[in-house]
Amino acid sequence: MSSHHEPEDKILLGDQEILKSDLLTLNMGPQHPATHGVLRVEIKTDSEIVVDAIPHIGYLHRCFEKHVEHLDYRGVIPYVDRMDYLGAMSMEWGYALTIEKMLGTEVPKRAEYIRILVAELQRIASHLVYFGTYGIDMGAFTTFLYCFQDREEILRLFEELSGARMLYNYVWIGGVWNDINDDQLNRVKNFCDRFEGELKKYHQLVGENKIFIERTAHVGVLTKEQCFDYGATGPVLRGSGVNWDLRKNRPYGMYEKFDFDVIVGKGEKGTVGDCWDRYYVRIYEMFESIKIIRQVLEGIEEGPVMGKVSKIIKVPAGEIYMRTECPRGELGYHLISDGGKTPYRLKVKSSCFTHVSMLPILAPGQMVADLVATIGSIDIVLGEIDR
Amino acid sequence: METIHLKKAIQPELTIAQWFKNVYYAVKSTAVGMGITFKYVWARPVVTIEYPEVREELPANSRSRLYNDAENCISCLQCAVSCPVDCIYIAAVKRPTDAPKIKTKDGTPIRLDLKQYTIDTALCMYCGLCTTVCPTECLTHTTDYEYASYTLASMKYDYLAPDIRAWRTRIVKS
Repeated sequence: MSSHHEPEDKILLGDQEILKSDLLTLNMGPQHPATHGVLRVEIKTDSEIVVDAIPHIGYLHRCFEKHVEHLDYRGVIPYVDRMDYLGAMSMEWGYALTIEKMLGTEVPKRAEYIRILVAELQRIASHLVYFGTYGIDMGAFTTFLYCFQDREEILRLFEELSGARMLYNYVWIGGVWNDINDDQLNRVKNFCDRFEGELKKYHQLVGENKIFIERTAHVGVLTKEQCFDYGATGPVLRGSGVNWDLRKNRPYGMYEKFDFDVIVGKGEKGTVGDCWDRYYVRIYEMFESIKIIRQVLEGIEEGPVMGKVSKIIKVPAGEIYMRTECPRGELGYHLISDGGKTPYRLKVKSSCFTHVSMLPILAPGQMVADLVATIGSIDIVLGEIDR
Repeated sequence: METIHLKKAIQPELTIAQWFKNVYYAVKSTAVGMGITFKYVWARPVVTIEYPEVREELPANSRSRLYNDAENCISCLQCAVSCPVDCIYIAAVKRPTDAPKIKTKDGTPIRLDLKQYTIDTALCMYCGLCTTVCPTECLTHTTDYEYASYTLASMKYDYLAPDIRAWRTRIVKS
């Protein structure tokens, strides 16, 4: 669909012609609470029906890809944190894996376990933010407070491990920064036991609520084919009924040893690939994460947490593309090295960027209020889109 | 003139039986939700920290305000090199041969006289890379977190200045 509409254009909703006044251009954002960050969506509406939506990005652009060409390989990690600040551990892990694969570094077993532990805890923390803020988008404020209390427990653990609450710089090339002690592992165990029960209640409170279902079911439907066309990944792809999870299909780290299910949207309350399905996928992924964390706590071994890495890292000349499953979808690093101390080029493939580019096919025909539900359900983080 | 086709949202057919079912389900699910929130009035401990009166103790390895113990610094420049934002400024001159020999706390001889050690805290991103490379462990992150100020210039800490060195007794735990 072209993005420019003439005033005399005929607009058909379904097979019905709608009463047409002049198209009204609305700017949603960049400081709109429903856009989850600094995203501006230019909406063309006819009365309350969205005819066109064009996302404008770049408000948080920090020139990450060019800037890291002047940094040594260790110094990139703090910048990688700042891309998806809600899933920083997964971002670091992907980067560390990329460099380790190029260097051929062996990562100690204990470090591998800790990495999976923090990545899954991070997935829970990230989905809790989604869950809480999506509740606010739909007019349910209560869960936001509950979710942030639970998230606080995870952040507190990360603060003790790494020293920071959001931008950790914890997963290093060759291992992790600090070791985790038995007391902290015990706390994780207690958290899992308590949180599993809580999450079931949260799901009852929001996801099973009729008002929430009415707002999300049949809204923002993405078909399988549309997902393939645009290259959607993560919960958005799985919400449309595609069984694809990198942790299962292309295991990295030690994921092949762990037993968990891939959650796929089934269209329980509406159509396959609607907002409720994407919500469902994220909620049940948290249960799967708890399952993985329990297996980590059983299997974790004693030993060092840092492998042998030279003081000045020089990556041999070559190219690599490494991808990992982050809370929001697939994150890919394309590294080109010329053998020096700094990356020659580091391209990041961000899942949020793909998802936000699907707005022009998702939005037309919806009400403005449903657009809020749709933007919330694809769960974007602008730090990752703009980099 | 062209025709724009918008896809219509799918709406399930509404019969009278379905309408009553919907009302029943809405009342039921709302009641269940209210029950859950009602329980949480007492089930949750109070989590609010009333900040100025109650101050939170940060975990021991929190990365907050940087402090350099200048007496133990050997001016090796490793922190400045590893800093991704280049916010550490160091100037040092060679120590005269006839000057008395001095050592740091862990016994490393000091061969350079530190003339300037400044960190622009406003530029710092608290990644912690500088403290991990420090060979004498004189540069550390402390758990001191209340240091907002009105001007950018006052965020530039000169660790050789007497007023900033006086913090040592307050914020460095050894």
